[in-house]
Amino acid sequence: MRLVRVLARRILGVRRIPTYYLPWIARAQIECVLVLSNIEARFRPGSSPGPFRLSARQHDERGRVVGEYAVELADHLAAAEVPLTRGTEGCGIVTVDVAQIQSDLYVALCGAGSYTVTHGRHEFVERYPAWTRLVMAALGRLLALMGRTIPAFARNQYVYSGADHRSHLLLMNLSNVTNRIRVELQSRAFEWTPRLLALPPMGAHLLRLPAATRGETAGLHVGRLHAAGNAWFNFYVVGAGPRDLAGPLSLMHVK
Amino acid sequence: MSSEVSGLKSATFHGDGYEHVVELVHQRDDHARRSLIALQVEVREAGGGLLATLPVDPREEILDVADLTRPHVGGRGLVMVTFDARYDPRTLPYRPHHYAYLHRRGSGAPSLYYAVNAVLGGVPDRVGATTANNLENYLFLRRPLEERYSLLVGNVAHWATAKARVLAYYAGRPRTLDLTLEPGAHAELALPAEQDGARLERVDMKTTFRLATYVVGRRADSGDMVLFDHLFPYFK
Repeated sequence: MRLVRVLARRILGVRRIPTYYLPWIARAQIECVLVLSNIEARFRPGSSPGPFRLSARQHDERGRVVGEYAVELADHLAAAEVPLTRGTEGCGIVTVDVAQIQSDLYVALCGAGSYTVTHGRHEFVERYPAWTRLVMAALGRLLALMGRTIPAFARNQYVYSGADHRSHLLLMNLSNVTNRIRVELQSRAFEWTPRLLALPPMGAHLLRLPAATRGETAGLHVGRLHAAGNAWFNFYVVGAGPRDLAGPLSLMHVK
Repeated sequence: MSSEVSGLKSATFHGDGYEHVVELVHQRDDHARRSLIALQVEVREAGGGLLATLPVDPREEILDVADLTRPHVGGRGLVMVTFDARYDPRTLPYRPHHYAYLHRRGSGAPSLYYAVNAVLGGVPDRVGATTANNLENYLFLRRPLEERYSLLVGNVAHWATAKARVLAYYAGRPRTLDLTLEPGAHAELALPAEQDGARLERVDMKTTFRLATYVVGRRADSGDMVLFDHLFPYFK
């Protein structure tokens, strides 16, 4: 299967660009802050003592660049806090140029009585050439008429719903093509019809998952979510409390 | 057969009043092939005493830690729960990374999803290691927030006493705390958010072998957990 994927990428002319990315999410009562450092490199043989320059690019749900940030860290022990979204609401992806650093970077959600932190991923984004984008767009639209997508990538994730809390997902399209992601959810407790989401290039979508509805509202319910898309994507788990998405939220990576 | 079996030991902490489930296998498949071969779950009190060895079906996908440990947590504060798993790397090419979901009943805080700390075998990373060779760290936002922080540390080793040095940094100055944990023991170290007017910036922990460690944030008013996260190991 791996060989098939490698061959398919070669035929389609797909390039994988090493990229460090993090999620961002903001609400009126929640501030989203990047914490940037190069602390993990301090004992690496040959590591420069600094300064280190980083640049970050913030994409919104539609994939548009809505913020650009430049930071200089004086040395390995320096940390910079970059508030992303003061006074705005939304979610998306932040990519960071980490050419000069070797450390995981944090993203924090904080507000009244809440403070959660998670880290980003040093993986890649996919770049499809123009002709491939056209083919995928045409094929994607055709399959979308039947509620389907090209299942090039798939991810499985457990999701949860309790009496006054649950998990949601922040989906991130890590490519330069429209990513049609089909989401299925298996559980006796949830009402769910498979749905097809179309995420723009480098766009994101906060997938609101339902509360348990099928008569079993007491206790904690688990759903098995399966998402398949036509291009590379990832997601983060968004935790919510009694006020759901209007209240404090947590954010967490998945493997 | 035995040469095809890999091991993973991980640990978390559980307190009364929380809904808490642990995913035994992160990946699932339609044919249910992806399950553990064997799993032993133990519950230990802070001093290291074994409270229970729990019968668990290794084919389960998700364990209800709150339900399993209910007879053992009352009045004890936090207990350490260890997961000693065996799995076939051909069906789980990446280790069956345990994630978990957590929420305190009745809390206004958001639910938390976290990666269960993998502590391997609880043995020194190098034969003959006598000095600190395992370093982990965590950074904090430097702005005043309505939380209090702590570090949860557990020694999953069966026979070896563990020593750890924890350094909490305020305006670049470390506050040092040395910790000794008997086999199976755990401790929660408070990390004051401020010291001499300076905010908590970062915490480093140095040990001779891998311990179960989590950074914890609790709301100052209710004590509800809002942060439960792994540290970042960066030098071994």
